[in-house]
Amino acid sequence: MKLAELIQTSREYLSERLPLKHLDFQHMVEKKEVPVHRLSWGYYTGGLALFFFLVQVVTGLLLLFYYQPTVSDAHASVEYITDHVTGGALIRNLHAWTSSAMILAVLVHLLMTFAMKAFARPRELTWLSGVALLGITFAFGFTGYLLPWHQIAVNATKIGMQTIEALGDFLPGSMSEWPRLIRETIQGEASVGQATLSRFYALHVIVLPFSIAAMLGLHLLGIQLHGMSPGIDEEPRKQERFFPVFLIKDLSVWGVAFMVLFVLALCLPFEALYAYPLFAPFDPKSSTPEGIKPEWYFYFVYYPLEILPFWLVMLGQAVAGAVLLVTPWIFRGTSRKSLRLLAWGAAGYLLAMTLFGEQIYHLFKGGTL
Amino acid sequence: MMPVPFIDQFLFVGLPYLAIVTFVVGCVWRWSTNRFSYSSLSSQFLEHRQLYWGSVSWHIGILLVLAGHLVALIFPGLWSGLMSVKAVLLTVETVGAALGCVSLAGLVTLLYRRITSNRLQAVTTPLDILVVALLIGQVLLGVTTAILFPYGAYWAPGTVSPYLWGLLTLQPDATCVAFFPAVFKLHLVGAWLLVLLFPLTRLVHIVLLPWQYFFRPPQQVVWYAPRQGKQAHALSQQLETRRDFAKGVAGISVAGGLLSLGVFENLVRYFQGHRPDPKVETDLLEKKMVRLKQAAETRELELERQRNEIILVAKYAELQANKGKYLTDYSMAPALAFKGPDGWPLVISAKCTHLGCTVGSEMNGQGKILCPCHISYFDVKTGQPDAGAPAKAPLRHLEWVLIDAQGKEIARKSSGLPATNNPALLAQCSVYIVKPKETR
Repeated sequence: MKLAELIQTSREYLSERLPLKHLDFQHMVEKKEVPVHRLSWGYYTGGLALFFFLVQVVTGLLLLFYYQPTVSDAHASVEYITDHVTGGALIRNLHAWTSSAMILAVLVHLLMTFAMKAFARPRELTWLSGVALLGITFAFGFTGYLLPWHQIAVNATKIGMQTIEALGDFLPGSMSEWPRLIRETIQGEASVGQATLSRFYALHVIVLPFSIAAMLGLHLLGIQLHGMSPGIDEEPRKQERFFPVFLIKDLSVWGVAFMVLFVLALCLPFEALYAYPLFAPFDPKSSTPEGIKPEWYFYFVYYPLEILPFWLVMLGQAVAGAVLLVTPWIFRGTSRKSLRLLAWGAAGYLLAMTLFGEQIYHLFKGGTL
Repeated sequence: MMPVPFIDQFLFVGLPYLAIVTFVVGCVWRWSTNRFSYSSLSSQFLEHRQLYWGSVSWHIGILLVLAGHLVALIFPGLWSGLMSVKAVLLTVETVGAALGCVSLAGLVTLLYRRITSNRLQAVTTPLDILVVALLIGQVLLGVTTAILFPYGAYWAPGTVSPYLWGLLTLQPDATCVAFFPAVFKLHLVGAWLLVLLFPLTRLVHIVLLPWQYFFRPPQQVVWYAPRQGKQAHALSQQLETRRDFAKGVAGISVAGGLLSLGVFENLVRYFQGHRPDPKVETDLLEKKMVRLKQAAETRELELERQRNEIILVAKYAELQANKGKYLTDYSMAPALAFKGPDGWPLVISAKCTHLGCTVGSEMNGQGKILCPCHISYFDVKTGQPDAGAPAKAPLRHLEWVLIDAQGKEIARKSSGLPATNNPALLAQCSVYIVKPKETR
């Protein structure tokens, strides 16, 4: 009897969250509408992230034609792409710039979705798949960063991996060995080397793309089944047809974004933002060059790690991750006004750490970095 | 130089002047006697479906093609400068030929419409048919020239442009064009014939330059009747949308066409792969060999550490007090060898205890070495990091052994060192690191 009830409840739960009865042309194309109000621009952020992902797929596939994932050849093959392959520098640059653009779009999308309370019932599963997509996107960034096998890539990866091991100091007894074992398992050997490169490559080009495709499928299905969330408390001024009105606007935004990226990739090599020695091939026997830093999208955890005690930052990260996971339930009753404030707060923190992390570091530590 | 035959003199000097004079006189005369005949004599209300497709494609095609001709003739220097870029030349040639075909399709549609509709027959004069036939011939000749003698955009500014300027400045010179292939000569003759016929036909509508077409809302010519007025209103709304749509499609296809032309060539070459010249190829291979050697060396170092109980670091004489010599220790991590203040060697791990970066080898004035990643200073003598540095644990000192030239062990770090040493003896020795005892 108890079991039957459980089955009944979960069936109801699922049919509300995934209303597959809406899986038809009428609901997904003809009737789908997008509300027009002052936060409407938030509806573009998700599509933009999707577009950047598509650009990454195409440019990534093109790079795959020439890249060689071995310690001795990786850097040389990247140089070969940049210097000798027709359009290779552009493709590679586009991949690098778009990776940043994709993460930026994903973060803004996350904040907007939060501020507009788009996670509320019945869209919990869409939110959860979004959180998974966020994790996968960061994993893409972390694994892809290592592949060119230059100084900054390998050293930054080493530091990142070492962070896992540092957790061991806070675990009791024989558990303190676990983080080291985990780190070595991810690396495939005691230090970052060929085994690490091989598995990061496998993750970056096979495992993560398949995972993101699956999650993206679920995410988009959720959006199409439920339609756009209202986003604001009051009635929207009017509704816009998704097809073709909103779609065309969406495509125009994509076009402009591509144009900007294309020009950027054509004119400004991504590496121009760093000193050259960081892009010399990784040499295990020389000293580490100065200025090893993770990519900008990890600053929000990197600078706190530099300033605050390690355990505090890790605790903060764990709490933030947990909050993201259970957001649809803990913020169920929160008003959109409070959510917007919270989102502003989070955006402020991310902006401050990303743009002024170094200055904040000096403020606390003095001296020069 | 070969003399220019009389027939060419007539076609490329006589005919042009005849055409130009007729054009000017005819236009002025027509304007002064019958101003309102400056019109294209719209037949839109007699038939509009075929007109839409015919007229729009004809006008879009011919306007752009003519614009290209004009720029090349008026600014030949600028134009040939642009055309010296191969991608631009290819783009212009392809787009030009495509537009030629578009206008040809439009013209054929218009001619078909003229000769198949009864209503239109009533308002069609023989001159109209002549003009359309001439235009068709002219476009055909143009497209044929573009296909048979490609890169016209490149060669025309140097030949046709001087010829035209010669005519305009009253220094006609037919030699510029007299030796061209017949197809192209016919194209030129056709152009002069059209100029000649210009004031006599509906071609005069060109001088009205209807710019406002680009900006004003679309107009539909209909019979005047209340019922049809209402229908026309609905129709004009519909046309407005269609016009927007057509503009969008035109914009996207032109932009997309240009983009794909630019991208396509590079994309093909991306997949074709690079064929470097032998020198570049050699450099690339050499670079690869260097990297391969580095990788092999690392593997050899690992093997050496598996097999040997002690490993040579350097001759004692090579050690310096202020600058460490990098070596790879038994765990394949970097380490540094100094000459210690007491004269004995000092071997210290260079893997930062914070996050594993490699510590720098230069010792500063206070006897400290720096990890550049997060600014931790380590005292070489004790291995201790500065208070407040990100690194908390000290750098390990490694076990070493000194062996003289005869292979005899002179001193070992762990076996207690005498306070004094014999520099002469030490100078003959070499420093080795020792395999650590199994800890686990």
